Amino acid sequence: MSAGEFHGLGRGARRARFDSCPPPLKRWATRFSPSKGWGTCSLLALCVWPLALTAPALAQQIDYVRPVDAAPSPEDIGEEYVLPVVQRPLPRPVWRETVDAAVLLGALGLCTWIVLWRRNRRELVLLTIICLLYFGAYREGCICPIGAIQNVVVALTDPAYAISYFAIVFFLLPLLLAVLFGRVFCGGVCPLGAIQELVVLRPLRVPRVLDKVLGLFKWVYLALAVWFAARPAETREFVICRFDPFVGFFRFTGPMHMMLIGAGLLVLGLFIGRPYCRYVCPYGAILSLLSRISWRGVTITPDKELDCGLCAASCPYGAIKDLRAQKSSCLFCARCFNTCPRHRVRGQTGTAPQGSSQSS
Amino acid sequence: MNQKPTRREVLGHAARGATVVGLGGLGFYLARKASGESVWQINCDKCVNSRLGAVGIEACDLCATECVLALSAVRAVNDHAKCGRCYICPAYFDIKSAVDEEGLPSQKLCPRDAIKRKPIGWIDPDDPANNFYEYTIDEKLCNGCGECVMACKEPAGLTSIRLAVRYDLCLDCNRCSIAIACPDEAYVREPFEKEEAGA
Amino acid sequence: MRYRRERVIGGKGADRGQFAEALRGLAIDAQDRLYAVGDSKLVVFSLEGKLLGSWATERPGYSVAVAAAGTVYVGQPGQVQLFDPDGKLLDTWRDADRMGLVTAIGFSGDSVFLADAKDRCIRRYDQHGKYLGEIGRDNRMKGFLIPNRHLDFAVDAAGVIHAGNPGKHRVEQYSLDGRLLGHWGRFDGRDPAGFTGCCNPTNLALTRRGHLVVTTKAEPLVKVYTIDGRLLALVGQDDFDPNCKNMDVAVDSQGRICVIDTARLQICVFAPVDSDSATQPAQPGAGETVRP
Repeated sequence: MSAGEFHGLGRGARRARFDSCPPPLKRWATRFSPSKGWGTCSLLALCVWPLALTAPALAQQIDYVRPVDAAPSPEDIGEEYVLPVVQRPLPRPVWRETVDAAVLLGALGLCTWIVLWRRNRRELVLLTIICLLYFGAYREGCICPIGAIQNVVVALTDPAYAISYFAIVFFLLPLLLAVLFGRVFCGGVCPLGAIQELVVLRPLRVPRVLDKVLGLFKWVYLALAVWFAARPAETREFVICRFDPFVGFFRFTGPMHMMLIGAGLLVLGLFIGRPYCRYVCPYGAILSLLSRISWRGVTITPDKELDCGLCAASCPYGAIKDLRAQKSSCLFCARCFNTCPRHRVRGQTGTAPQGSSQSS
Repeated sequence: MNQKPTRREVLGHAARGATVVGLGGLGFYLARKASGESVWQINCDKCVNSRLGAVGIEACDLCATECVLALSAVRAVNDHAKCGRCYICPAYFDIKSAVDEEGLPSQKLCPRDAIKRKPIGWIDPDDPANNFYEYTIDEKLCNGCGECVMACKEPAGLTSIRLAVRYDLCLDCNRCSIAIACPDEAYVREPFEKEEAGA
Repeated sequence: MRYRRERVIGGKGADRGQFAEALRGLAIDAQDRLYAVGDSKLVVFSLEGKLLGSWATERPGYSVAVAAAGTVYVGQPGQVQLFDPDGKLLDTWRDADRMGLVTAIGFSGDSVFLADAKDRCIRRYDQHGKYLGEIGRDNRMKGFLIPNRHLDFAVDAAGVIHAGNPGKHRVEQYSLDGRLLGHWGRFDGRDPAGFTGCCNPTNLALTRRGHLVVTTKAEPLVKVYTIDGRLLALVGQDDFDPNCKNMDVAVDSQGRICVIDTARLQICVFAPVDSDSATQPAQPGAGETVRP
């Protein structure tokens, strides 16, 4: 029986077949689940990214005609002197940009696999740190999908603007993953989310009404960002880049007021989980919308739903409603799994996720 | 056993399919408009270190200090077609310094010693003043401070050295902090294929 | 020796006596009339500033000189035009190869000397425009070193050509048939007796008493030297626009120095002060503000 057929069975039949497999086969089946493609790809991507750190720049050499004849000509200099060619480097080499996109894809895939299949918080934290180092420290927070909203808006409104292919990829890829699996990007990949994720200490519960009202602000911010990006070049303002609270930490330098706001958000984040992601991030607004119709989503239980209620208070982001993970606000942090008794019964590794029977 | 898909599931599939198609369509539309990449470029007709008329003032080093990177992505570049290949170059030497026994200024201008000087062509063994010299800027050392650019400007020099953004180092921020700080508004974001203004 | 600025002639504008784009060449004839060329015209002033005439030249003028007989020579790209004192065109010498850019004109006996900035040498012609020979080319550099694209020289009564070699920061002396007789001058960024920058001195002229007046750029200045290179005076320290380059200079019979401000397109006239000390050269730096 192939993996695809296995997962096409009903829930009870899967359980019966799994139990009857010999132990080595069980381990094989859990390791190489239908996400085999994702897992291998992302592992490969992780291996490749250190190579990106060491590479000479490609340079485009251009010939030029002598515009000035005051300077001595090569004939006068003698000895068959040849003018050195002017160096005009290409934009950041294409293959390096491709590596960035591959890392993004790999990280998204890896996050999906870790949260939905492996259900392991430790592995997710490791991925979070890796992504924070790569997209935050190494790439200095630029280019990011949040800012790419503006680039896309400018490309749609300004015919003279040339958007790079990779800005398009960075904008669309997390959205595609959101339609498939939910807010995977927020889970371990976004560096702004990652930095907040690491400072969650004692998250308090935000009252539902307040949570909803505050959550409207990210739509306002999105509208403002689109409005300012759509203006003509003289009055255009990249609002998201300007008010990015955490890019100063990535670059170890920045305007003082933004560093203070970033620090304030991090201090707030000790007690209110990921305030930027839940209430401010304009890309999160789009992701929350698209993840409502996602094909798969996070299920707190690995297999059987007991409705025991032990997970109810486990989400630091208030994403559990009626004992189910809300697709639009679940940030893929993998904290709720530990509270589920089925998770403990099954051991650290889980099985395939359930179908689309969760609430949005 | 596989159940018949419910209406809700069918609608879900349809919505997802439509969204994916919509995203794909947006992607294709943008990709057709993606004629390359817009990069930040310095307009030398506006840069105070390069433009005619602004003489006798300190070199502007905002390109070196404002960039978000530790070592700025801006470098000085010598256009060898315009360079005079002089024996005593005001961008290489600090011509205000005392003259040494060879008749050359004793101090160099570049604070990071990034300009390299070498004689070219037929070399006169007796009189070094009888040679042409090639001046090249080592981009690994240069930080874009603009001292040599200002020193090479007309009328003191031939304006062959100018500041240029090195695209392989530049992050291509939407809001370039140097562009915002530049008092002469010399930064423009143009498609890479477009030749640098004033170059 | 000290000089003070007496007046300013000309200026930027569209009038007959003004220049719009460029003012490049200057000469003074035996009657102390001032000839200025630039744009595409030749303008004559009296030294008091009165406009005496203005005529068109075919191409923008880069240099001007007046022969003993009164003929006015205007050096242009690719040619030299000869005018009579009333501005009537007498002749045009064209030679695209040997008169690439004529930036200085001098006379000695029957010969006319033209400086070609394109080939970086001085060429000798007879009165009818026949080419006779070259001066300054048979050296390793195949010519003078002029990154500033302007070659200037002056011929003294003894038949010695004093030519500026700005790339080497010196003034060279040549005989009329092209032999290098000597040179003086050195680079010095601090001492005003030396020449600073990458290429100085740019222009020079001889006074009636045998002094050499040179102009320099990048901190524009006029300096007076003896014939063998001793600094006598600094003139016009703050009178010029700092963007000036290749300021042509001419001296009249009274020792007044006229210099072009190439940025403001005007002519500054400096008159010597202390006429009793004008007979003997003073010590350099005496009473002067020495510029670093």
